[in-house]
Amino acid sequence: METATLKVFRFDPDKDKVPYYQDYEVPVEGTLLNALLYIKDNLDPTLSFRAFCRSEVCGSCAMKVNGKTKLACKTPMKELVETWKGKPLRIDPLDHLKVIRDLVVDIDKPIEKMKTLIPWLVPDPRVVPTDPMHESIIYPEELEAYKDQIHCMLCFSCYSACEAVEDYERYRGPFAFSRAYRFQVDRRDIETAKEKRIRYAISGGLWSCVQCQKCLYVCPKGVKPAEDIQNLRGQAVRKGFTDKPGAKKLKHYVDWIYATGQINRLYLPEEVYGNREAREKLTKAYEEMGVEVWEVPKPTKGLMKFRDIYLEILSKEEKALDLDFSHVRKIDKMVSDIFKADICTIVDRVHEEGKGGKLIEKLKGLFGGDNG
Amino acid sequence: MVKVGFYQGCCFQGQDAHMFETMKKTFKAIDVELVLLEETTCCGGNTIDEENRKLSYAINARNIALAEAKGLDMLISCNTCYMVIAKAKRAMDKNKKLREEINNLLKEEGLEYRGTNRIYHLLDFFRDVVGYDRIRKAVKRPLKGWKVAAYYGCHVLYPRETAVDNSDNPSSLQEILKALGAKVIDEYENKDACCGYHSFYTDKNMTLKKLDKILGSVREAGADIIATPCPLCFKSFDIYQTNMENPPGVPSSFLPELMAYAFGISKEESGLSHHLIKVEKD
Repeated sequence: METATLKVFRFDPDKDKVPYYQDYEVPVEGTLLNALLYIKDNLDPTLSFRAFCRSEVCGSCAMKVNGKTKLACKTPMKELVETWKGKPLRIDPLDHLKVIRDLVVDIDKPIEKMKTLIPWLVPDPRVVPTDPMHESIIYPEELEAYKDQIHCMLCFSCYSACEAVEDYERYRGPFAFSRAYRFQVDRRDIETAKEKRIRYAISGGLWSCVQCQKCLYVCPKGVKPAEDIQNLRGQAVRKGFTDKPGAKKLKHYVDWIYATGQINRLYLPEEVYGNREAREKLTKAYEEMGVEVWEVPKPTKGLMKFRDIYLEILSKEEKALDLDFSHVRKIDKMVSDIFKADICTIVDRVHEEGKGGKLIEKLKGLFGGDNG
Repeated sequence: MVKVGFYQGCCFQGQDAHMFETMKKTFKAIDVELVLLEETTCCGGNTIDEENRKLSYAINARNIALAEAKGLDMLISCNTCYMVIAKAKRAMDKNKKLREEINNLLKEEGLEYRGTNRIYHLLDFFRDVVGYDRIRKAVKRPLKGWKVAAYYGCHVLYPRETAVDNSDNPSSLQEILKALGAKVIDEYENKDACCGYHSFYTDKNMTLKKLDKILGSVREAGADIIATPCPLCFKSFDIYQTNMENPPGVPSSFLPELMAYAFGISKEESGLSHHLIKVEKD
């Protein structure tokens, strides 16, 4: 029978000064959980790990294999051996959690963190009948908005893999934001609670997520916390929480991409951090190299039609007013001042090969910086 | 000669136009013609998704449709552009209603998303279309004695649905670096940590902490330089590193630059000599 070596993290705080690894030879069949149970039954009854349902429902057997977070009952041994090409498989407890013993971790901290985001329904009396004899009906199309999030089983895979948890103590954790977002799109939940959740989400690190997408990768249930965090950020800005750098960055993207088809990295430091110096410094540095810096991106061919598509989608989603039209007009003016023509003419002329003459030359000039 | 549509995003124009020049030279050496998809726009940088996901899908369905209209597959270098556009493609392919709605809007420009082309990132393009052998054969100046730390960046490995390599144990970048003759350093402590590029304008402190960790462990592993296929990770390493209180001065490179250099193109022309953190190695 094919076998593999598991190097398992061992630590008993009552006996061990430091953790150590113990090797076990296990059959390559079934799942990683089967292998751990094999050890427990046949090789070493002292090994501790949590597991219960064996079928991806209870979420208690999450751990790390060669540094990557896995749910043991969902991970075939064969797949692990193939991925790691016969290398030993190092089994560790989840990251960012205190080890109680061997692979068993203390999950109290992330649970407490989650609770700060009000991950429960605060009923709106205008929607939810107070009379217990009446039901509060949810229609299938409403459920669509949070059908993935409700599958979170608190396995803490995402909490372990999270880049923001790693470097920011207060960060609530991917799953906590998903669980909060689930009520942000529930019609039965009262508006004041939704507002509070956003406030608490912001103080809990909403803008500190790095969008690495590891939470999407490790979630055994297909929840997409990084995307829910994006949704929450959008809600935060719409509810008027616009003072954070991240909110200003979002505004920059929404306005500049509409106006020119591109972001403008020369203006980002200024529009986000009020750092005008960054732009001036860069412009100067380029001028010293003999390169003229144009402060706007080359307008995309077909820009006016692109704008129509952009605005049409935003209108349909009832978000057209998220565009700051006075900002867009300012950008248009920058473009026409530089190229001595209005934006429509520029977009048309710029792409006529050979006819644009100097205009094309100008557009080949540089724009955009990248320093905060 | 293979022809492929090249999506530039924000990283290969304006201030960074030279990066596209490097790309063209690198690809010419391995017999690939890059056709610039000029009418494309910014992918939204995974930030437009915060405003509205459908808007992100529409922008990128348009970007893909522009390549389709030319009958070309699409090549993307930036990890984030790749992921955002690949996510849009998945949504358009899976959701018929969304596809109809967005195609209805694209009609105005005479465009249609059909889902007929492939989207490649540099890594799978080198592996599946070019082949490591052809890269090896194009090398004129092997990177002998270069100890290069392989750094993938997140958005080519996560999420699973759009990953271009085995997310847990990827190999394409190491294979390419080996083909260039370099000594690959692929075991260093923070090889899988995020480069912090995207939090620079949302939580700058986070970026600096990430850089500190990655660059520290790269140095500890004894690498001369980092190589990444993602222009954003590269910028984080080269440019944002200078924002650190005590920049460790670890040099980095955008993969096509290293390739250009190994293919015999001068250090100056490859772009390697224009970094803020000097690449001393020859």
